[in-house]
Amino acid sequence: MKRHLVISTSIELVRIAPDKIVYIASDGNYSTLMQADNEVRMLSHQLGEIARMIDNQLGKDGENFMRLGRSLIINSSYVYYINIPQQKLILSDATSFSHTVSASKEVLKQLKEQLEG
Amino acid sequence: MQEIDDIRDDEIRILGGRKSRLPRSMWVIILSILGLAALGVIILAVVNYRESEAEQLKEPEPSYFEPVVEPKQEITHSQWIGRQVDSDLQGFMEIKDTTINDIPIRLYIPHNAEMSLHIGRMDKSDKSIIYAAQAADVRADNGGIVGAFVLKGEPRAWGLSKKGYCASIGGKVYVGVAENSPLFEQATEEGGYFFRQYPLVADGELVENEPKGKSIRRGICDRQGEIFMVETGTIESFHDFAQALVDLGVNQAVYLVGSSAYGWAVDENNITYEFGEDNYYTGRYRMPKNTSYIVWRMK
Repeated sequence: MKRHLVISTSIELVRIAPDKIVYIASDGNYSTLMQADNEVRMLSHQLGEIARMIDNQLGKDGENFMRLGRSLIINSSYVYYINIPQQKLILSDATSFSHTVSASKEVLKQLKEQLEG
Repeated sequence: MQEIDDIRDDEIRILGGRKSRLPRSMWVIILSILGLAALGVIILAVVNYRESEAEQLKEPEPSYFEPVVEPKQEITHSQWIGRQVDSDLQGFMEIKDTTINDIPIRLYIPHNAEMSLHIGRMDKSDKSIIYAAQAADVRADNGGIVGAFVLKGEPRAWGLSKKGYCASIGGKVYVGVAENSPLFEQATEEGGYFFRQYPLVADGELVENEPKGKSIRRGICDRQGEIFMVETGTIESFHDFAQALVDLGVNQAVYLVGSSAYGWAVDENNITYEFGEDNYYTGRYRMPKNTSYIVWRMK
């Protein structure tokens, strides 16, 4: 069975398959999880903590996830469009969702290079 | 703080098991050193090109020092910041906290509510009110309202000292910037509401204003047709506040009275969030009788 990411606090638990995560954005001391079903979930963990959870829980299954700077973790399998001058990154499955996020030019340049192999 | 030390804003990192990757900056340094070493060998062999090649390759990589732009999230899925709610739900303010350009900003997004204006002290016990904040400024010399003002179809003040306007007519809220707006007449004819304030954003562009001080800032915004109020968590200049709204993607925005001006919002759990100072107008400060409020009530 595929591994799930489990994000737990003292009062709640979120358990989600990695391919259902589109991106996770930092929101101060909280993080916002954008799911592939277009649901948005607020998580009471900082983005760095969630990055460590992905590392520790998913291992190789988490290699699709990339930390882009301090404010964003993306599922790189959903990268659909990168425009460096406009600092624009579109994450989409080309069917049911399309989310535009913004990142620094340097980060997008590195992401583009990474995906070009 | 661990998280801040963890990664820079211009770095990317693959998660999931590859924890010991060197940061890109280290690779740049290592590759630069190797490149320079290789270059040294070439320099010895090709004397004619030595100086020009060495100088060129010793230059630091310009991209390494590029200014960092804070990422921001734009939700293009729904286009709106607030969530969709059923129309039969009781009206409430959706309260969202965010940070734009390091400015903490609280968004007050009305749901199933209607905007109007009010003059005079607010009735805090009125449970139909889900948001109240001071609207127009009051003149220091004669206590009159600054700029044109229409209260339920009745013009209460005239004049153009501020180009920003906000109107609520027939349940629709308009926010904009114009010297002359037909909405003043329309509000008068149709029993609507209209007031003027400092313009902040016009058609997505920042509008500069004269006052240069810093204060807690508030405003009402139209972003792709979604109307909401904003408030800074820190004291800001007009310029920085307006720039943050532009970066939020706001199309039109006008100011609401900031600083210690009192108001409140009620969220969907019926929790009241107060801002400003409720007891400011006590003792030696008397509340001007023309103090006006923007009021959102449950439909």
